[in-house]
Amino acid sequence: MSHQLGRVVSAILQRYFGDIVQQVGSDLFTYGSKPIGMIVKTTGLARSLVIDSLRTLLKFDLATFEPSANELIADYKLIPDNVLLLIRYPRYLLQMKSKYGSEAELLVEELLQQATCSASVLLVTIATKYKDDKEKNITILKLKEMFISLVTAGYIQQAPVAELKEGSEVPTLVPVATIVPDIEIRPLIQAMSSGDTSELKDNIYWRVNYDRFHLDFRDEIMIKAITRRIDENAGELMRFLLEQMYLKSPAWAAESSPLCALELRERCRGLAAERPLLHQYVDQYLKVLEENGGGFVRRVGDSGGGQLCVRAGLAARELVLAALDHTVTERLGSKAARIFRLIRARKYIEEDDIQKNAMLVNKECKQLTYKLLEEHFISVQPMRKAASSGGLAKAVYLYHIKLHDVSQAAQELCYRSLHNVLRRARSTRTAHARLRDKLRRVRTIVHGMRLRGEPQRNIDDVEETLTPPELAVLQDVEKQLKQLSTAELELDRNLFLFKWYFMYPEK
Amino acid sequence: MAGRGRGRGGSNLSFTHDQLQALGIARGDNTSQVLIPPPLFPKLEAKPLPLTSDAATDYMLIVKDLFIEYLHESPAYVKRKTKTDGIERYSDKYKMLALDAKNNKVLDCVWANMPVELRPQAKRTQVSNRKRKFADQDAIDKRLLTLEKKENQDDTDETVDTAENEKAAKTQEVNDDEEIEDEQEEEMEMDDGTDYANNYFDNGEEYDEEDDNLDDGPVY
Repeated sequence: MSHQLGRVVSAILQRYFGDIVQQVGSDLFTYGSKPIGMIVKTTGLARSLVIDSLRTLLKFDLATFEPSANELIADYKLIPDNVLLLIRYPRYLLQMKSKYGSEAELLVEELLQQATCSASVLLVTIATKYKDDKEKNITILKLKEMFISLVTAGYIQQAPVAELKEGSEVPTLVPVATIVPDIEIRPLIQAMSSGDTSELKDNIYWRVNYDRFHLDFRDEIMIKAITRRIDENAGELMRFLLEQMYLKSPAWAAESSPLCALELRERCRGLAAERPLLHQYVDQYLKVLEENGGGFVRRVGDSGGGQLCVRAGLAARELVLAALDHTVTERLGSKAARIFRLIRARKYIEEDDIQKNAMLVNKECKQLTYKLLEEHFISVQPMRKAASSGGLAKAVYLYHIKLHDVSQAAQELCYRSLHNVLRRARSTRTAHARLRDKLRRVRTIVHGMRLRGEPQRNIDDVEETLTPPELAVLQDVEKQLKQLSTAELELDRNLFLFKWYFMYPEK
Repeated sequence: MAGRGRGRGGSNLSFTHDQLQALGIARGDNTSQVLIPPPLFPKLEAKPLPLTSDAATDYMLIVKDLFIEYLHESPAYVKRKTKTDGIERYSDKYKMLALDAKNNKVLDCVWANMPVELRPQAKRTQVSNRKRKFADQDAIDKRLLTLEKKENQDDTDETVDTAENEKAAKTQEVNDDEEIEDEQEEEMEMDDGTDYANNYFDNGEEYDEEDDNLDDGPVY
């Protein structure tokens, strides 16, 4: 709930939903929760516009509401975390496409666009959209099967249902357990041929379960980390461990309940043909994973061929540490990173000792230490010594790293740069709005002409309305925007890491 | 000796030469005072690493742009009603038509999950239709004609007494009655609207809505 977060949220809302939703959103962010009347008053917008914006925010689950004190009107509240998720949507789609193929991608894409949708309407809309697309070969039957498997896998869940409490005018949304639906195909095909979805009586609504995707991302990060640290076979072993973990303990648990190594061995035997090395050296791999795997896995017992547990909480901590190391290196150079690592290794260290151990010139060392302190990467703890013989009370200053606070600071940095990126992209876009508009118009005209089969000469004439210098500028702008967009995605990856780390309470 | 405990003659206002040297500032290091604010965009000290660009990133960028484009086209992207700048243009008509068509679309939500105040109120478009029906010159003419005929019939009733005439008048009357009944029914339906149209309570929000016009300035 920081100032930087507010700025990012506001910028994202502007990018996705326009100025008015942005105004309403940032107003809600600053004031916490408030009813419509108050929003109208503080933003100075027309009531109908505020209502429209609130509808948008509620539809995309970016805000919630609850009955206010008098039970007649609702108080609205922004959910900043969900606003940040808007940037992660492409990643969800990529995940779907790579894991389940294009049908799953289409389903999730449509569902993200609709926010909440009933299964039958969803299926019919997608099927009609891609009816003529021979390449993809989308049939409603395949879509239905994919939908059911996605629901079973937990990527799609039932949307909360409104309940009207007695004496209250405002509904409360109650989450419901997801039941795998039984979709009849005949009415869907009928609706498709008639092109009328209003006939479908389906009032079970679905939405995307972000949490399930986040679990996938977490697993991927852990497997990738192990793969890079040891090798692919170890990564595969980590995957098995995680799969077992899902069966035995809550998905986000900081430390899983003990897993039996025997089962792992059996899994590996099953894969003997594909990964002979893993099958042959499974015990050695487990040992390496334990000793050199960054603490992702810990041996908790020896019964039953060895008991292992996966420590996701510690993994998050290790990864955040690595990210911080990297940040310090990139921002302040490798010498500062050396000091940072030294302080981390010693936990609490005096300034003199830093100078002695970091092997740097005194002045430079001091400067870098202060710089680290200034950027909140390290903190200082004064320890007063009792007044001794000298008469002067001398204080000792101990430098140390409060990981939780440093991660907060780094997260703020991410927010700040995300905001900067969004702002920069926006100003580039407005500065070249006219040219981009022209390009778009020329493209649509040319496209239309191609469809009509007009001679190439005429098409060239139209294309030449964009002069070479204009084209050069446009290319430049496109490149810039692409870079900024990529930066957004990268920043989001880091934010995910920090969010994962903050999930576990500070020790 | 009082007051001379530490240092003499105000020398404690600044560091001594030795103290400065201990802090790492040599003679002549003293820079002149900076009177200008720091630059708004300071130069980067280190060049940032290049961003990854592979097929997956490209895919995500395309998907992202498509999603944003979709949102901008959808009614979720809230815009003000189009206003003209006072200069009439020929193209205005088409522009406004296109924009307003977009504006008038209502976001497709699950209304049951929304508070009552956000649900779309049943719009009274029928009212305007009805008015137009009366404003229609033909309708007025027709009505006047029937009334005139009726009057004439009343007059002629006394003098001429043909069965045919009476029959015609009767059917006319019946027709008229039906028409009136129809209208009444229509009115009833209209007032009903849907459940959403009914405001069961007064939440007091309308209280200060009248104040909107105060901006125009006081009335002298």
